[in-house]
Amino acid sequence: MQQQIIAELKGLVGAQYVMDQLEDRICYSFDATFRDFLPDVVVKPGNVEEIVAIVKLAGKYQVPLTARGAATGLSGGSVPVKGGISLVLTRLDKIVDIDTENRVAIVETGVITETFVNAVNQAGLFYPPDPASAKTSTIGGNIAECAGGPKGVKYGITRDYVLGMEVVLPDGSVVELGNKVDSEMTGPDWGMLLVGSEGTLGIVTKVYLKLVDKPSAKQTLLAIFDSLDDAARTVSEMIASGIIPTTLEIMDNLTIRAVEDYLKVGLPVNAEAILLIEVDGSAAAIAKQADRVMQVCKRCGATEIQAASTPADMDKLWRARRAISPACGKINPTKISEDATVPRSQIPVMVRRLREIAQKYNLKMVIFGHAGDGNLHPNILSNKHDHEEMERVEQAVEELFKAALELGGTLSGEHGIGYMKAPFLKWETGETGFAVGKQLKQVVDPQELLNPGKLFTA
Amino acid sequence: MDKKYEAWQNQLVKCIRCGTCRSVCPVFQAADNENTTARGKVRLLEAVSEGKLPLTPELQQRMGKCLLCKACVNGCPSGVKTDELFLSARKLLADQNGLPLAKKLAFTGLTYRKLFDLGLKMGAVFQGVVFKEAPKGRGKLARIPMPSAGLSQRRIIPPLASAPLRTRLPETNTVSSPKVRVAFYTGCMLNYIYPEAGEAIVKILKAHDAEVVIPAKQSCCGTPAFTSGDYQVGRYLAEENIKILADGDYDDIVTGCASCGAALKHEYGNIIEDPKVKQLWEKISKKVKDITEFIVEQGIKQELREVKAKITYHDPCHLVRGMGVSQQPRQLLQAIPGVEYAEMKDAAKCCGAGGTFSMAHYEISRTINDWKLDNAEKTGAAILATGCSACRMHITDGLGQRSSNMKVLHTAEIIAKAYGLN
Repeated sequence: MQQQIIAELKGLVGAQYVMDQLEDRICYSFDATFRDFLPDVVVKPGNVEEIVAIVKLAGKYQVPLTARGAATGLSGGSVPVKGGISLVLTRLDKIVDIDTENRVAIVETGVITETFVNAVNQAGLFYPPDPASAKTSTIGGNIAECAGGPKGVKYGITRDYVLGMEVVLPDGSVVELGNKVDSEMTGPDWGMLLVGSEGTLGIVTKVYLKLVDKPSAKQTLLAIFDSLDDAARTVSEMIASGIIPTTLEIMDNLTIRAVEDYLKVGLPVNAEAILLIEVDGSAAAIAKQADRVMQVCKRCGATEIQAASTPADMDKLWRARRAISPACGKINPTKISEDATVPRSQIPVMVRRLREIAQKYNLKMVIFGHAGDGNLHPNILSNKHDHEEMERVEQAVEELFKAALELGGTLSGEHGIGYMKAPFLKWETGETGFAVGKQLKQVVDPQELLNPGKLFTA
Repeated sequence: MDKKYEAWQNQLVKCIRCGTCRSVCPVFQAADNENTTARGKVRLLEAVSEGKLPLTPELQQRMGKCLLCKACVNGCPSGVKTDELFLSARKLLADQNGLPLAKKLAFTGLTYRKLFDLGLKMGAVFQGVVFKEAPKGRGKLARIPMPSAGLSQRRIIPPLASAPLRTRLPETNTVSSPKVRVAFYTGCMLNYIYPEAGEAIVKILKAHDAEVVIPAKQSCCGTPAFTSGDYQVGRYLAEENIKILADGDYDDIVTGCASCGAALKHEYGNIIEDPKVKQLWEKISKKVKDITEFIVEQGIKQELREVKAKITYHDPCHLVRGMGVSQQPRQLLQAIPGVEYAEMKDAAKCCGAGGTFSMAHYEISRTINDWKLDNAEKTGAAILATGCSACRMHITDGLGQRSSNMKVLHTAEIIAKAYGLN
């Protein structure tokens, strides 16, 4: 990169916020996926004015610009595949307002998800999206990838809470899309275009988020199955019968054994599958709901149902769920985590297809995930240094995307497209849909400055 | 791949880059820079092993930006042993690029045990030349900035003791009917800076009917040297100490310094090469105990006297994560009548000292320390107890700078008081 550009960037934000040494660029060349793309320079602006100036500078010199939050993404959305500027937004970390009367929060893009969730909780309200990376991820990143989480079954995902935002467009203009009013409907929902856009259409700098009531009570249940099919069928039937738990997580036998091996919390290691179910609401409502959940489980062949009676028991079960990632890491170091999602009625079919794929390519695959919203997480446990195996992994991943789409599903339930799924995007959008996306990108960002190589410019 | 990087591979490949380290690393939280996180450093070492990055001085500078507090080791979902990985990298980098002259001279000085001892005793006499008294007897302030010695001018450092611990007490401290024979490994800071805490430990041990030997030939534990990558000096000191401690037929080896204890108990295992010395080390490492661990194992010896004070406790990194000691000091403090114990938020989070880290990166170190002080002050405690002299020094510095009335004591000093031993 020209020294002139780096000098100008330093002039804009201060030399200490611009890094162009190889050692630092390497540290900003990756997210939670396994490939690396070096940015030419890393810039950490402190406010919207600086971001505007950087965007204009990128336009002037035709330099790619890729926004980055905490880089915990699982599809490669914040990785600068075409180099250029890595725009780190973590300095914009103010919670501007939590308006309890109107149940709206205004936060800057770099606020850490958990910090925000805790602040809302303290104010007596609730912000439900709970991606596994919440301790680290930023709200801006959650919006760029449309993050979800276990609570998605009942409460939906990030997009369901976005009322509006402040965005820096590729020409450097700043617009407010949507506003703080919950029922605003002045023209199209432009803000929705930005949710899941991975920083390809604009740089989100401030967000208006909807807040909801805190549930007064919750109950966790563990249903044990000696057939994975039965467990999958339970998920479909439960949703079909109109019971919407807060969370409905599935774990297959390999997952159960890995976690038990790692945590020793007394999980049923001989079970073919378990469902971890949480219901929340008022005490009276959850008792009734828990009862109905148990009936469906029994009807579908659960051999045993345990209700966590104490907070400690509840915590133990959720600890087991959170331990899946590390536990699997102990089996094989490289974890290829997918989030292909299908209509909930198709969960049993999808589970069968996944097992066939794993068998066909002779791969170790664990199946777990937010079954309740159709979002399974088939994880292939591999070793990135084993090139022959990694080729089989690639083929298996392609096949599982195809399976999800054939069943009327989608490539991503919550991780986004990034560089990893960009080659398959057309399968889902079709030629026409892809062309429309491309045209839209063309209109908003004719120079293809923002995050090139992702979504419609891959 | 270059052979010297092969040992890293099974750790490097485990990192799934999830970024959980960002949520626990104090340096990252203070600096907001991915080059301070464990996953950033792991990626740097991966690039080195792939031949994409040489062992540059710039890399050395970044690998130095780590407190070795082990928070990432504990917090890592994939169990990457980042502490061992980063130490090994620091060694290769020091071999390649050398160390700053001041460090190199200081570490070499450590190997001349008698000369080092003389130097610090002389230092105690002449310290007034370069240092002036901080207000209210809080310690010393540098008269001139000494960046090459890592001393910020606002930093308050404790004075050197005019009579070091090991000159105050005989090598062998007998009791009438000894039940155990204990070696007390004092380390440098208890000897030269906080001898009163060292004396408290000896008194407690004697109250437990222990014959206490303070080996005169013990050297510095070597932590400052090997954590900076100087394995030559680190290994030399480790071998000297292992031989001396293996020689005395001790039942227990007691420490009152978290870093010394963690070095004797665990870290030596990673730096010793000679198989014979390693065998000796395996023998002694099992005997190494922090003083609070020793007391709890033996059971509280006598009826405890009342100590009227509100006390909070700070977990030194090398005690809680290095030696696995965290319950014992709390149990003991809470057992003392009159003590109102108040747990602080994030008690096990690093205080920011990190040994030589606080010299090289004083401002980051101070930011991290200020979080600790905020949490400690929120408890309303009058005394902060801890088991590490380096933490004590750094926390005392911070309290002095904010004119706080909170006092820092070694846990053993409070227990000695409850034992009626002062």
